[in-house]
Amino acid sequence: MASPLTGIHVLDLSWVMVGPASGRYLADLGADVIKVESSRRIDPVRTLPPFKDGKPGPERSVGYHNLNAGKRCIAIDIRKPEGREIVLRLSQWADVVLESFTPGVLDELRLAYSDLSARNPKIVMASTSILGQTGPYAKGTSGVGTMGAAMSGATYQFGWPDRVPNGPWGPWTDAVTPRFIVASILAALHRRARTGQGCYLDFAQAECGIQFMMPAYYEYAAGGRIPERRGGAGSALAAPQGVYPCAGNDRWVAIDASEADRWTALRNLIGATLANREFDTLLGRLRARDRLDRAIAQWTEPRQGEAVEAALQAVGVPAHLVSRGNDLAHDPDLRSAGHFRRIDDPVIGEVEVEGPRAEFDRTPAAATARGPRIGEHTGEILREVCGLAQEDIARLMESGVLA
Amino acid sequence: MLDDIRVLEISAPETMLAGCILAALGADVVVVEPPAGSLGRRLDPYLDDIPGLERSLTWHAMNRNKRAITLDIASADGRAILAQLAAKFDAAIDSVQSRIAAAALDGIDLPDKLVRTRISAFARSGPKSAYAASDLIVMAASGAPGVSGDIDRPPLFFPVPQAMMEAGADAAIATLAGLMARDRDGQGQSAHVSARIAAMMGAMSQMLGPGAGNPEITRSGGSIAIAGVEVPSIYECADGFVLITVAFGPVFGQMTNRLAQWAAREQCLPPEIGEIPWTSFIPDLQQKKRTPAELQALVDGLKKLACNKTKEEFGAAARSLGLLASPVMNMRDVAESPQYRERGLFASTEISGRRVDVPARFAQCNNFTIEVRRPAPALSQHTVEILEGDLGLSRTEIQALFAHGII
Repeated sequence: MASPLTGIHVLDLSWVMVGPASGRYLADLGADVIKVESSRRIDPVRTLPPFKDGKPGPERSVGYHNLNAGKRCIAIDIRKPEGREIVLRLSQWADVVLESFTPGVLDELRLAYSDLSARNPKIVMASTSILGQTGPYAKGTSGVGTMGAAMSGATYQFGWPDRVPNGPWGPWTDAVTPRFIVASILAALHRRARTGQGCYLDFAQAECGIQFMMPAYYEYAAGGRIPERRGGAGSALAAPQGVYPCAGNDRWVAIDASEADRWTALRNLIGATLANREFDTLLGRLRARDRLDRAIAQWTEPRQGEAVEAALQAVGVPAHLVSRGNDLAHDPDLRSAGHFRRIDDPVIGEVEVEGPRAEFDRTPAAATARGPRIGEHTGEILREVCGLAQEDIARLMESGVLA
Repeated sequence: MLDDIRVLEISAPETMLAGCILAALGADVVVVEPPAGSLGRRLDPYLDDIPGLERSLTWHAMNRNKRAITLDIASADGRAILAQLAAKFDAAIDSVQSRIAAAALDGIDLPDKLVRTRISAFARSGPKSAYAASDLIVMAASGAPGVSGDIDRPPLFFPVPQAMMEAGADAAIATLAGLMARDRDGQGQSAHVSARIAAMMGAMSQMLGPGAGNPEITRSGGSIAIAGVEVPSIYECADGFVLITVAFGPVFGQMTNRLAQWAAREQCLPPEIGEIPWTSFIPDLQQKKRTPAELQALVDGLKKLACNKTKEEFGAAARSLGLLASPVMNMRDVAESPQYRERGLFASTEISGRRVDVPARFAQCNNFTIEVRRPAPALSQHTVEILEGDLGLSRTEIQALFAHGII
């Protein structure tokens, strides 16, 4: 059965996370994605953990597989003229091109949208960088998603009011931006199917991050107040709502029981310590929030997080363990949904990566395959996609273009 | 790009960004709300801190470019109208509201050509599919907060609900993918998005580590400890905070070299520390060619350097020197940044009559411009227009529906 993007060709010139994660979405949706890499300049994500058995190595990063599952890989030195020509040939094959070079680099290499679209006017090309390709600060800004988060207003708001901002975990905009890239590419492909028109799309990680913070921007825009850090979980308008300590080392459970029936269910379950009349009403609970939270914490603290979650969910109270990696890896819901997919790699053997982020009833997502090794499909791509003869490939190999 | 596409959004917090993205890309998006208003209208913050169904700034932020109707989909008439409407649209997005345990379009006979995207908090058929959920609960289950924040305090969450953003963004993608399949063969289908799985994107690959023989990642606060030295990532500066990533290795370590050299030129770091090759610092440390005290000196120097600079000065230096560093911007900084202004991030709209520029353009395109064609709709603003225009209902019929509380 065909997948939603079966027959769509993607040339993925990107590296690290945003671009490859976008390519992964497209691969999951059935597109044929060719990753361009060079053994002289490997994808830096290959140097980032987690590694199989904790041992670093360019073919050992499990995170690499998670971002590049299902793609093919050609190794070429795109700075060499013959290498550049291969990229141009691939762009003639491609419907979509992804790239994440520092702004200006593709212009230097004469592989910018103008060069690629001269060969293939119908191409949909997406560039991604921290601040985009245009604007006074764009050139020279290069970096990772922690910087995107810092310039999106997100880092400033993530932390405790009495402390330096903590910032969200990891390179946050690396996880946010692919969504806007993929949605825009699909919309552009839809338009192209009707009109034949391709386009160039330019994404700034920081600007995509702002989209996830838009209510905070509106707060500033409408009233001039700068939204500040508010600390941990829980709104000032709801109680009980927050995270509570559990048994174990740094274990917590989130509980959201502010609404009347949920509060009643929680109160009945926990019993005497919540019987105090001041907790009868929402306003009473808000005013006595510290006492309320202490009473709940007293109940959760000796218990295992999973047990608290199960007990509360059994009576209809929204609750969940504040999960970490191990919890997710063993989560019965994710297991039953088949979210983790086993891949078999010649170097690292069997490991698990994540599956697609959406399911389709009629046109299923593509099966999850491992990420390619550096240059694994170079010969096949040059023969089948670029139409090169074996002797041409041998010559390119000799001249160091295919490295 | 999507000007031929019509999307019916059965409004819930987690559908809002989906409709918002599709509308930004040109689709005609109509939100369906219960007569008492969508839950999204009750999300804070409120305009001037005064609550009201037209005063939720979250609603305003997430419903630009959409039209809105009200419909009591629990009623027989409401369900019949919903089914008729579905036939007029290309795509529909709805969400399993945890209190109702069903999505609005469940059980409705949907046209074959409709692409329907159904959002649920957890996996649609797993052991947690019936869980009571909320944004906080989904985020707790995503893996990111569990590793966020200082170890002496509870895990951190964003003050802006994020599960609804994660789910909405993935629902936009799923809807568009369904439309791509339909472009090929004319057939619709249902797509399914789990908010929790969507939000796990932000947990990066941490859930894959333990199964591949790695220790679990646990909380370390905003800093990392290297050889016993606390290396922060956020530093106080003259007028706020700056982000500085001290990285090592052949690629990112070069940025640290330039950073240390700059700090030395600014007399915040002893010259000999400024000249250390940070690219090879970690192996050098292991081979005892370098000491933790040198790293501590770098951190102390960076603290001093940051204190002497404003966000703007620091940002300018980061750009010209190519550093892994940037200002930590608040929303006023975003509003005032010449970068975002000149690039065209902002589009003009209004919030309850106040003219404002909002950072609406998540993409810049050579032959398409994301516009804010209309501000977020008032409750039931387009009910008559849609029921008349799309379904051909008479004014008398529409009044009857209103008299019965169905619209």
